[in-house]
Amino acid sequence: MHLLRRTSIVILALAAFAVAPLGAQSPDFNAMLRAVDVNGSFTKLDYSAVFTIVTQKPNEKDSVIQVRLFRRDDHDQIVWIMQKPEAQKGQGFLKVDENIWMYDPESGKFSHSTMKEQIQNSKAKSSDLKRTSYVDDYDIATTAEGVLGKYPVWVLTLKAKNNEVSYPTLKLSIRKDKPLILKEEDFSLSDRPMRTVYFPPTYIEVAGKTISSQMLIIDELNKGEKSQLTISDVSVAPLPDATFSKAFLGQSSK
Amino acid sequence: MSRTSRGSIVSMALRNLNRQKKRTVLLGGAIAFGVMIITIIDAFAGAFMQNVSTNFADIAAGHIFVSGSEQTASGKSYAVIHDDTALVQVLKETGIPAEYVSKRSMAQGTLIFESKKTQANIQGVDFSSERYLTDRLILSQGSFKAMSNPQGLILSEQTARKLNAQVGDSLILQLTTVTGQQNVGDMTLVATTPDNGLMSGFSAYANIAYVNELLNLAPNEYQSMGIFLPSLSGMDRYADAYYKDLKTKVNVKERVKATDRPAMGGPMAAMFGGGTTEEKWTGVRYSVTTLDDMLSSVKQIVNVLNSVSLGILIVLFLIIMVGILNTFRMTMFERIREIGTMRAIGMQRQQVRSLFILEALFLAIAGMVVGLIVAAIIMGVLSLFNLGVNTPLFMILRKGHFSFSLPVARGVMNVVIITVLTLAAAALPARTAARLEPAQALRTTK
Repeated sequence: MHLLRRTSIVILALAAFAVAPLGAQSPDFNAMLRAVDVNGSFTKLDYSAVFTIVTQKPNEKDSVIQVRLFRRDDHDQIVWIMQKPEAQKGQGFLKVDENIWMYDPESGKFSHSTMKEQIQNSKAKSSDLKRTSYVDDYDIATTAEGVLGKYPVWVLTLKAKNNEVSYPTLKLSIRKDKPLILKEEDFSLSDRPMRTVYFPPTYIEVAGKTISSQMLIIDELNKGEKSQLTISDVSVAPLPDATFSKAFLGQSSK
Repeated sequence: MSRTSRGSIVSMALRNLNRQKKRTVLLGGAIAFGVMIITIIDAFAGAFMQNVSTNFADIAAGHIFVSGSEQTASGKSYAVIHDDTALVQVLKETGIPAEYVSKRSMAQGTLIFESKKTQANIQGVDFSSERYLTDRLILSQGSFKAMSNPQGLILSEQTARKLNAQVGDSLILQLTTVTGQQNVGDMTLVATTPDNGLMSGFSAYANIAYVNELLNLAPNEYQSMGIFLPSLSGMDRYADAYYKDLKTKVNVKERVKATDRPAMGGPMAAMFGGGTTEEKWTGVRYSVTTLDDMLSSVKQIVNVLNSVSLGILIVLFLIIMVGILNTFRMTMFERIREIGTMRAIGMQRQQVRSLFILEALFLAIAGMVVGLIVAAIIMGVLSLFNLGVNTPLFMILRKGHFSFSLPVARGVMNVVIITVLTLAAAALPARTAARLEPAQALRTTK
């Protein structure tokens, strides 16, 4: 018995010794994930950009939506003005705390509602409208090395910490040289691939952050459906307070 | 000359009506037509609510529904019944004459087949014990035996057509779990039901074990218990009794009846609970609802139908009143010398007025009787047609047939309104005729 215990200790010690060099080579994946979060967060800064989304569906004409977005996350303020399609041009949206105003340029009128009402009338929940944090919402289940295109990547499989986040499992391919995601695969609770998001390495440098100027979202369930999102005119320059007002919506829509 | 007897006035009124047959038929026909239209609308509205309730009870497998609701850490509520011991015990204690008890879960999501997709509400059913459903649900293709496939799915023909799916095809169901996580399931279309109109979207069934798995519920859990009563009567009373007893045992949401507030989010939301609320509670909170609570929007349709029919009744009879008024004025001038003669030989003013009023009354009675008979014939003929279950009108039909039920109070109200309006129309010419001086009337030439 005593011999068995001694042998076990020796084996464990050898095993620890054998694994130690590997551990030293592996990065701190939690820190990596935190860096990804930080890189994508614009809190304490104003943010504005133009988003263009081209959606392709089988047997349907491509649809193009373009919006100009202004955000001040610290004050929970968002404004967006629709630029495309032509039929919806000038439509605006303003969110200040829990209040929402929507502007219709044709009638020149605002309609008011609250986040609570919007949520009650849809399947959405408040958390859907908040930016998700990989570190807060997920645990790292597995890690692996891989190559995506010409980039060596770490492939992290994340499992949700709670049962309220939309995707219970994520698989992130993160560049080894920088904390930038190249691919995100979202899985259902039954572990079925639901969508794949590619972040092509065409970057915009803003306020010391590197963001992808494009995203390609592929619907894995509805074959042939995909959307391409292009981000342009990104700025973190301070926005005038008046940007987050109804008057701004009215003026910008003209 | 002695005073003219009441009997003579009645027979004179009838004779006058008979004397001017064409005019009588036209005026009586107008009244009959109005009565017929109103009766058919009212009788249709009368049966409408009853038929919808009966058919919905068949689809939802219950008249009284008990659902459980639990909250996530973020305050989102979702429907679940973990343990139904108290629910079953209350059912026994209250002595509710339950013919049948159903236990169901519901998956709301998107069915995808090849490049087509459609929204679906799929009820999770225990096919091994729910004899009620297998006895009543008609299948146009496939059989219930195929539901031994754990991932078997029964859809309405309409939904299958939308997806271009055939029995035997494999479909994908995209949905969210009760707590809002994305999930995907594979299902096999094993049978179809005939189209039944608005409720086609709710005629989708799968095995409760698989629905629970997709909703991330345990196999023995479910979301709604349906209590099927022998008839629609007593539903509210039994629900109240159930609510009161259940409240002594578990946490129960205050019962809000449809009369107090319309059901939010439609009938299925009322049945399966869930949604966003500001209230906070711990554990499972139950709620008790009835078909009446859930079908409050249908009641609103019935109320609209009733208001429309009352509006039609009044407008139609205002037009008929003008016709009666003019006709009776004409009649008075035609009979002016006759009236003068009758007045000269001793007929009192009151009797002249009564003569005209009685003519109008007989006209109204005859019109109403004919109108009711014609309406009864039309309704009888309409109810003979069997439209089957493969019709968009399914929910408002009784076993595939149109059915009509005229509420007594409504019928009495119609009779009173028609009588009053007809008499009011005849009152003015009757008064003018009664005021005629005999000598002046006899001097008048037509």
